[in-house]
Amino acid sequence: MGENKLSFDTVQVGDEAPSISHKLTRTDLVKYAGASGDFNPMHHDEVAAQAAGQPSVFGHGMFSMGLLGTAVTDYVGVGNLTRYQVRFARQTWPDEVLTSKIVVTGKREEGGKKLVDLAVTLSNGDGEDKLVGEATAAIA
Amino acid sequence: MADDAASQEDVLKGIIGQPTGKSRVVVERGPVQHFADAVLSTSAIYHDPQAAENAGFDNIPAPPTWPFAMEFSGKFEEIQPADAPSGNPLMTAVGPLMAKGGLILHGEQEFIYHRPVLVGDVLVSEGHIVDAYQKESKGRTMTFIVQETNWNDDKTGEPVVTARFNLIHRA
Repeated sequence: MGENKLSFDTVQVGDEAPSISHKLTRTDLVKYAGASGDFNPMHHDEVAAQAAGQPSVFGHGMFSMGLLGTAVTDYVGVGNLTRYQVRFARQTWPDEVLTSKIVVTGKREEGGKKLVDLAVTLSNGDGEDKLVGEATAAIA
Repeated sequence: MADDAASQEDVLKGIIGQPTGKSRVVVERGPVQHFADAVLSTSAIYHDPQAAENAGFDNIPAPPTWPFAMEFSGKFEEIQPADAPSGNPLMTAVGPLMAKGGLILHGEQEFIYHRPVLVGDVLVSEGHIVDAYQKESKGRTMTFIVQETNWNDDKTGEPVVTARFNLIHRA
């Protein structure tokens, strides 16, 4: 069960997925708040965020992980991930351009499954990492 | 201060292995579709039952980080397990730290997928604290607490997804 996108036979260590880039907007954060139920005002209420000493609202870490997850499933196919892990390195801010980088770091067969390991990062236009993580997909 | 640090260590050791909660959720099409839109996916698989079927799914699947959010839309009061523990040991450890100030951060998040989460699933969870410790970093005390939540299919009992949530308190 899973979308057939990446071929185990042809994928190579060092291959890079097409990156996705997205300029973060406050609307993105409001949409994510509504879809996830995370209504921490730091992510949607500019007045409250500034009163708390922040320059503006900032992104949900889980929005970033979701966006990077979209880039990962666009590459390996929906429904094929066996693992997805990230470390939240920095906050994200409106108007930053968030760009994914997904690199194949391994391919192996284990327990009858054909697995592809990926190093995944999301960074801004200055090359600052926001998320640093790993993913593994089982593909045909 | 040393006594304080020692007792904090005991509190952290004491919460390892403790249950953090049980819940039951229903995975519904509308919330999954909105969630997929919110993480900026344009895949038809999250919207169109035919596209999902063509990709080999029995129903519309959910995006990878959906399990973190699914209690919001699907945790209906009347279906919650009667034996769900009350209170969360996470708060036992974090409460006194927060009383002294500092910041709570979501340090890491991990999902292990045993099979895709699908619309129509009813999933049950059981959570535990699996690790809790402190270390010094740049003169600050950092407290790390890891909560693991296992989601199983309510009908078959098969494992569906394991989520690991790493919380950091930075003094």
